[in-house]
Amino acid sequence: MLEIRNLHVKIADEDTMILKGVDLVIPKGEVHAIMGPNGSGKSTLAYVLAGREDYEVTEGEILWNGENLLEMEPDERAAKGVFLAFQYPMEIPGVAGLTFLRTALNALRKRREQPELTTPEFMKLVRERAAKLNIDVEMLKRPVNVGFSGGEKKRSEILQMALLEPSLCVLDETDSGLDIDALRIVADGVNALRSPDRAMLVITHYQRLLNYIVPDKVHVLAYGRIQRTGDKELAVELERSGYAEFTKAA
Amino acid sequence: MNVGLMKTKAEQAFTESFDAVAAKLPGGEAVRELRRRAIGTFAALGLPHRRVEEWKYTDLRSVLKEAFAPAVGKAATPSEADLNAALGPLAALDVYRVVVIDGAFNAGLSTAQLPEGLAVKPLSAALAESPEAGESIVGMKRDQDPIEALNSAFATDGAVVRVADGAELDKPLLLVFARASAERKSITTRNVVSIGKGAKVTLVEAFVPLAGSADEDQHNAATEIVVGEGAAVTHVKAIVENGKAVHLGSATAEIGADATYRAFQLTAGPGLARNQIFVKFTGEGGKLDCSGSFLAANNEHIDTTLVVDHAVPHCESRELYKGVLDGRGRGIFQGKVIVQPGAQKTDGKQMAQALMLSPDAEFDSKPELEIYADDVICGHGSTAAEIDPEHIFYCKSRGIPEAEARALLIEAFVGEAMEKVEDEPVREALMETARVWLNKRTAS
Repeated sequence: MLEIRNLHVKIADEDTMILKGVDLVIPKGEVHAIMGPNGSGKSTLAYVLAGREDYEVTEGEILWNGENLLEMEPDERAAKGVFLAFQYPMEIPGVAGLTFLRTALNALRKRREQPELTTPEFMKLVRERAAKLNIDVEMLKRPVNVGFSGGEKKRSEILQMALLEPSLCVLDETDSGLDIDALRIVADGVNALRSPDRAMLVITHYQRLLNYIVPDKVHVLAYGRIQRTGDKELAVELERSGYAEFTKAA
Repeated sequence: MNVGLMKTKAEQAFTESFDAVAAKLPGGEAVRELRRRAIGTFAALGLPHRRVEEWKYTDLRSVLKEAFAPAVGKAATPSEADLNAALGPLAALDVYRVVVIDGAFNAGLSTAQLPEGLAVKPLSAALAESPEAGESIVGMKRDQDPIEALNSAFATDGAVVRVADGAELDKPLLLVFARASAERKSITTRNVVSIGKGAKVTLVEAFVPLAGSADEDQHNAATEIVVGEGAAVTHVKAIVENGKAVHLGSATAEIGADATYRAFQLTAGPGLARNQIFVKFTGEGGKLDCSGSFLAANNEHIDTTLVVDHAVPHCESRELYKGVLDGRGRGIFQGKVIVQPGAQKTDGKQMAQALMLSPDAEFDSKPELEIYADDVICGHGSTAAEIDPEHIFYCKSRGIPEAEARALLIEAFVGEAMEKVEDEPVREALMETARVWLNKRTAS
């Protein structure tokens, strides 16, 4: 279970608060969506969960399965099952995609006290998961995300997720830059990972994605706080009325 | 040249030791005369210093405090196992070997049976057999280069390699220059390589210390190579050292018409290294790819100085250098590209990049383009940067611990230059050599 309590966050070295008391609980097995206007702090929340350094938590806590995430380095969080699918996946020149995936997977397996995968085992797994996401394995011989289209980058994030098998999946605007076919492939990939052992947080600006990844709950984040919580109908309502209500409210 | 400059201790030592060993150096009277001329040139020029533009960042006059006694005559014979240990990842390569220990050819450790089309003779033997060939073997190609002058004066051994027209070697030729002496020595070697028309060859030079050898030594290593028309040559040089040795390397290459010359230098950890490379296109349609990785930590200093002479039209040159600099390590890249009048349709591109792992590391990069023709494409670039923290975060967010993430990213950086080495086993062995150095660098 993910428990976020009274989370206050600002950008390190700046005074402006971005998150001003976020409370959010996601039980295992549930998919929650966070929607909200631009600049409401959605991506900040995603980055803070993953452990990016540029932010400072001034108050509050984040517990994952009862453990304090804020005290952990990003790689320790990953070992505990946290995964962020980036809104803007990083390009890493010189590191072949397969090398990256294998290094990450084996690092996690080592921490989870599982044996490292041999090359044939690893390749079999990659081929299988990549095929489902319509990713050509040849593409993974190229440096990580370098020269990939927006859609290819997003699919490659979901492939990483499918391989690393996290238990807390945070998807930050995974739908942005995707055409309808790519959106369906990505959503299928995400849905395949839904399980009673896994919690998911889907951050999006638009309701469209939620037609494919149907959430158990929808939260509206604006002005650094959760302003409203509802079921999937809330997303439909927001699509009609927009965020005007929330941008005026606070 | 050096009017008013006092002779340094090292300069004096070089000239004095020449008088002491001249009679023991290989070659008859004609060769001795060439050597005398060369030491005279050195005496007149002195060690280069920072006011000589080509040596702006490597002030040998102040850095080279002394000259060690020249290594002349017989040398120890290490076991093959010891030699392989010194070669590290390069030892596993399936190659034809020519081994030189402390500047003396070692027949026992060298491949006895060479394939048809490849002839290798020790330089010492070549000088003894045909005195009239002395000029082409130890004669100076550039008359104002003090390092080459020292090489001409003192060269004891090396490989005289001849590859026949049309020959395609099934395995690379590995020239091993290992040092064994527990006493500090000044070693001088020279290779003279001639590649026939249309031949295909991979040549690897490796400079390594054997276990038990002195911490320091000075190695003056020259290689002259003539690439025949339409030939394709890969020429790799690996210097893998322990932080104190001095390596002064000069390579001279002439690229014939429609020939391809791919040179790559991996320089890991000598205390002071200068790789000076002079390339001249002698026929149209020639292609040059000259690249390298330089790895320096502590107080190590690695200088790569290129001079590419586009003397004829329609030639292409590419240079990519990538360095990793830690501690007070210093990397220097000087790349001069000359496009002679009439050398139209020249296409030259150059890039030098350093990854700075420490605030005390230094990278000096100096491109020099001298273009005397008007229909050419020439470009150059240079960067010095730290590891991108965003990249580290991305790796960590996937569960890769920081140290491993940094190693992965550093390796990737070096790997981009290594990609230039087309021969896969050679490339992998070089990469593994770099990996070993990168893992070790924090230890010292």
